[in-house]
Amino acid sequence: MNGAVVEARNLTKRYRDVLALDDVSIRLSADRIYGLLGRNGAGKTTLMSVLTAQAFATSGDALVFGEEAYENDRVLSRVCFIRESQKYPDDFTAFHAFKAARLLFRNWDQAFAERLIGDFGLPVKRRIKKLSRGQLSAVGVIIGLASRAELTFFDEPYLGLDAVARQLFYDRLLEDFTDSPRTVVLSSHLIDEVANLLDHVIVIDQGRILIDAESDALRGSAATVVGPAPKVNEFVTGMKVLHREALGPLASVTVDETLSAAQRTGAARLGLEVAPVSLQQLVIRKTLINHPSRRVPGGDAELDSMEATR
Amino acid sequence: MSRTLAVARMQLVTKWTYLGNPLVILAAAFLLSVAIFALIPADEPKYGGGSQAPLWYFMVLGIQSMTLAFPFSQGLSVSRRAFYLGTLGLFSVLAVAMTAIYLLGGIAERATNGWGVNGFFFAIPWVSDGPWYGTAVFYFTVMMLMFIIGFWFATIYKRWGTTGMLISLIGSAVLLLGFAALATLSLWWGSIGAWLVQQTPLTMGAWAAVLCVALAVGSYLTLRRATP
Repeated sequence: MNGAVVEARNLTKRYRDVLALDDVSIRLSADRIYGLLGRNGAGKTTLMSVLTAQAFATSGDALVFGEEAYENDRVLSRVCFIRESQKYPDDFTAFHAFKAARLLFRNWDQAFAERLIGDFGLPVKRRIKKLSRGQLSAVGVIIGLASRAELTFFDEPYLGLDAVARQLFYDRLLEDFTDSPRTVVLSSHLIDEVANLLDHVIVIDQGRILIDAESDALRGSAATVVGPAPKVNEFVTGMKVLHREALGPLASVTVDETLSAAQRTGAARLGLEVAPVSLQQLVIRKTLINHPSRRVPGGDAELDSMEATR
Repeated sequence: MSRTLAVARMQLVTKWTYLGNPLVILAAAFLLSVAIFALIPADEPKYGGGSQAPLWYFMVLGIQSMTLAFPFSQGLSVSRRAFYLGTLGLFSVLAVAMTAIYLLGGIAERATNGWGVNGFFFAIPWVSDGPWYGTAVFYFTVMMLMFIIGFWFATIYKRWGTTGMLISLIGSAVLLLGFAALATLSLWWGSIGAWLVQQTPLTMGAWAAVLCVALAVGSYLTLRRATP
């Protein structure tokens, strides 16, 4: 055993004229929370579908618990992936869906499911097709949490949920994760909201892995330097610049560098301010620099589209 | 095996889909037929085709199990094989139960002289002629066939979308028409008619079973690469 829960090598998925996954290789270890981040259509759901054998890669291979997941009940019974657009049988209520989930997930925790139903105020006797978007998301979230599967994928689980319900989800996830550790993959574009939950961050853009790093390592990996424009420019010479903003005589430059203590002292001597870069900012900057054609001065437009919930 | 069984139980979580609805449809068709029989002032035995009503629902069941239960089962991490076996197994049990109801209904019908109004809903001519097991095989395979046809078309739809389903529907129609044209040109109709007259419910059931197996195998091969 190599300890990897998921080991994907060179996964490529081509739909007619779109490359949904482009040579993706990732490795997920046991008992950690992964963030799968990226814009809409970046390939998040496709990647999760391929890993769980719900969809098929054009080339490449993926091992889950050391085996191919396809048609492998031994592996599949340890995995839970409720997709964002999950379909349910026509006359099913949430109550029926949970009853069915209980039949198939051996670690299913009914008491936990009931507590979550209360938390989310989910009407369990109403037909699923009559539920609001938020309630529909809650059904998926409850199955994902209460299934207690060793490998659980949450596919944009917050769609339509209000801020309170989202916080409830994050709290319950963390509580339950502490009690019974497992491997969680949380796909999201609400990066700031989930940043504190994540042990490891995987950013995907246009089917390619852009960032695959530990959250801790990522936190100090970039910095924003603010001060008089000439001094800032002098300071960042030779550094990899992610973003540049001018505010009159002042400049704010984000660099993709881990600043050493000496560099920080140097910045202070020049009268420059060094600020940390949030995970969300880092992801936005790295995504935008990946395809310069989409760069728009200011960057607020992209920020909005990144944050937008459907 | 346990997951195959779980798939069947998963679809029985709502009792209506597989149990309530077929029985309601059968009961409604039966009561309406008997009411109509009672209204017809004829002395000779009256036969109705109302007993086919649940069969059309079975086709709907076949379609829905693929378009709705299959994506749901994928969400619950069920392999395609377990889904297929569990769903077909569940449907076989339903078809056996329905066949039993039809046979018992036929016996009751004859014993009561057509429910006292000389009307026959279950024991219809040709199907109920001959030994009981011939009738049983016929009912069972026809029910399975209806379900599998729905399942098969829905599988094609899931795998290749609307285009695939249209092509297979039109293709089937063209094939049937082509066969009819060939039969006409080759003057086969006489012998086809003679062959049909020779068939009993048992042999027709056997032919339906052959078609069932062919479509079931085809569905499985298509389903193996279908995505939710």
